Amino acid sequence: MPRGATPYLMIFPSFLLAAAIILWPVGEIVALALHDVNRFGVIRGAFALDNFRELFADPDFFAALWRTLAWTAAVVIGTLIVSTPIALILNEDFYGRALARVLIMLPWAISLTMTAIVWRWALSGESGMLNSGLRDLGMMNENVQWLAKASTAFPMQILIGILVSIPFTVTIFLGGLSSVPEDLYDAAAIEGAGSWDQFRLITLPLLRPFINIAFVLNTIYVFNSFPIIWATTQGGPANSTDILVTYLYKLGFRLGKLGEAAAVSLIMFAILLVFTMIYVRLTTREEASE
Amino acid sequence: MKRRKLIRSLLFWAFLAPIVVVILFPYAVMTITALKSATEVHDPNWWPHEWRWQNFPEMWESSGIAPALFNSLYVSSLTTALTLVVSIPAAYALARFRFFGQGAFRQFLLVSQMLSPIVLVIGLFRLVASLGMIDNLNVLMWVYVAFNIAFCVWMLQSYFSTIPRDLEEAAWMEGAGRWRTLLTVFLPLAAPAMVVTAIFTFINAWNEFVIALTMLRREENYTLPIRVFSLVAGRYTVDWHYVMAAAFLASVPVAIIFAWLQRYLVRGLALGAVK
Repeated sequence: MPRGATPYLMIFPSFLLAAAIILWPVGEIVALALHDVNRFGVIRGAFALDNFRELFADPDFFAALWRTLAWTAAVVIGTLIVSTPIALILNEDFYGRALARVLIMLPWAISLTMTAIVWRWALSGESGMLNSGLRDLGMMNENVQWLAKASTAFPMQILIGILVSIPFTVTIFLGGLSSVPEDLYDAAAIEGAGSWDQFRLITLPLLRPFINIAFVLNTIYVFNSFPIIWATTQGGPANSTDILVTYLYKLGFRLGKLGEAAAVSLIMFAILLVFTMIYVRLTTREEASE
Repeated sequence: MKRRKLIRSLLFWAFLAPIVVVILFPYAVMTITALKSATEVHDPNWWPHEWRWQNFPEMWESSGIAPALFNSLYVSSLTTALTLVVSIPAAYALARFRFFGQGAFRQFLLVSQMLSPIVLVIGLFRLVASLGMIDNLNVLMWVYVAFNIAFCVWMLQSYFSTIPRDLEEAAWMEGAGRWRTLLTVFLPLAAPAMVVTAIFTFINAWNEFVIALTMLRREENYTLPIRVFSLVAGRYTVDWHYVMAAAFLASVPVAIIFAWLQRYLVRGLALGAVK
C-alpha cells in the first residue's frame, strides 16, 4: 500500500456516505425547485422559476419567513441571556452543584418531541396543569387556551425553545470558563479589582469566542427546529405559528407542492450558508489570534 | 470558610430555583399524569387521589410501545456503532496526516453539518423512494449515520490533535507497527472523546423525529418519538395518561444514562466546538 494513500483510505468511507446521503438530496432539491413538478414528483417541462414566483405570491410564505426570524432571534438571544449567569454559577463551588448541573442539563437528554407533546398537554385549556397550577398559586382566575391562538401559543413555543437550548449553551460556556486560568483572578484581586470588574475585564473577554460559537450554532439549530412547533400546534391555528420548516413540510407532504417546498429549501440553504460563513469567519479568526 | 460556602450555596440556589422549576415543570406534569386514572386525568387537580401504577402495564399492552422501543434501540445502537467506525479513521487522518484536499474535506464536513435533515427532507424522501426503500429501518439508520458523521469527525479530530505524538513515537521506536500503536496506544487515550461522541450520536438517533416521521409508514416500524406522536396527532380523543406513561418510559432510561455521563460532555464539547 503506497504510504500517500493511507489518509484517503481513512476518510473515504465517511466521505462516500455523507456525500451520497447529503449531496444527492441537494441535487434533487435544486432540480425540483427549478422545474415544474406534479404532485407525484414527476418533473415536467424545462427550467422555470414558477415555483419561486408562486412562493413569493403567497402571503403565508412571508409570514412564515418573518416568524422564523423572530423565532430564531428570540430563542437564541433569550438562551444566551439566561445561560450566561447559569454557567457562571455552575462554574463556582457550592453545595449541590452536581445536582444543579444534572437538573439544568436534563432537557438535553429528553427528546424534543416528548417535551413538546408534554407541553401540549400541560398547556391545554380545560384540564392543563399549567392553568391549574397558576390558579392554585392565585396568579390568575380564568383558564387560558394557550395553544388556541398565536398570541399565546407562539411565546410559549419560544419559552420551550429557550428551555431546551440552555443545556447545550451552558455546556459550551462551562468549557470556556474552565479554560480561564485561575491566577488571572488572583492577580486581579491583588490589583484591587472587584468581582464585577473581574467579570467585565477577564471573564467576558475570555468567554467571547465561546459566546460567538454558541450564538452561531444555536442560530443554525433553532432556525431548523421542527418538533417543538409541530408537536404543539402543527403551525396552527390557521398557519399562524408556522415557521419555514413547518411551512415546508406542509407544502411538501400535505399539499403535494413538491416544487414549491424545494424552493423553500433552497431559500433556507441560502440563509444557512450566511450563518455558516459567519461561523467559519469567527472560528478562523480565533485560530489566527491564538 | 464553611459558612461562606453555605451562604453562597443558598444564594446560588435561590437564583437557580425559578429556572429549575420551569425546566422540571413539564417532566413533573408527565410523571403525575402518567399515574392518574382515566377518570381523573381531565380533573384540574395536580395531585391524584390514587397513584395508578397500573397505567404502565396497560399502556404497554395497548399502545404498541414495545416494538417501538425495540426499533429505537436497534436503530440508535447500530447508528452509534457505524458512525464511530466510519468517523474514527477519518478523524485520525485529519489529526495526524497532512494531505492534499484536507482543507476541502473539512469544508465539506462543515457544509454537511449545516444542512439539517428537515431542510433536505424532500430530497431525502425522493432518494429513498427512488430506491424503493421507504419504510425500512436500515435505511433510516444509514441516513442517521450520514448526518452524524460531520459532528463526530469534528469532535474526535479536535480531541485527537490534543493527544501528544510522543507516546506514539515512543511505541514506534520500540518496534510496534503503525496499526498496533493505533490500537494499543492511541485509541485507549482517545477513549473519553469516543464515549462523548457515542453518547451524542445515540441520543441524536434516539430522539430524531422528522426523518422517521417521513420515512416510516407501517406502525410496526415506528420508532419511539413517532409512536408517541401518533398517540396524540390527528385523534379526537387522546388517552393522555397512557401518552404520558409512554413518554415517561421513552425518556427516563436515556435521561439516567445522560445524567450519569454528562460531566464528560463539558470538556469534550468545549474542545470540539472551538478548536
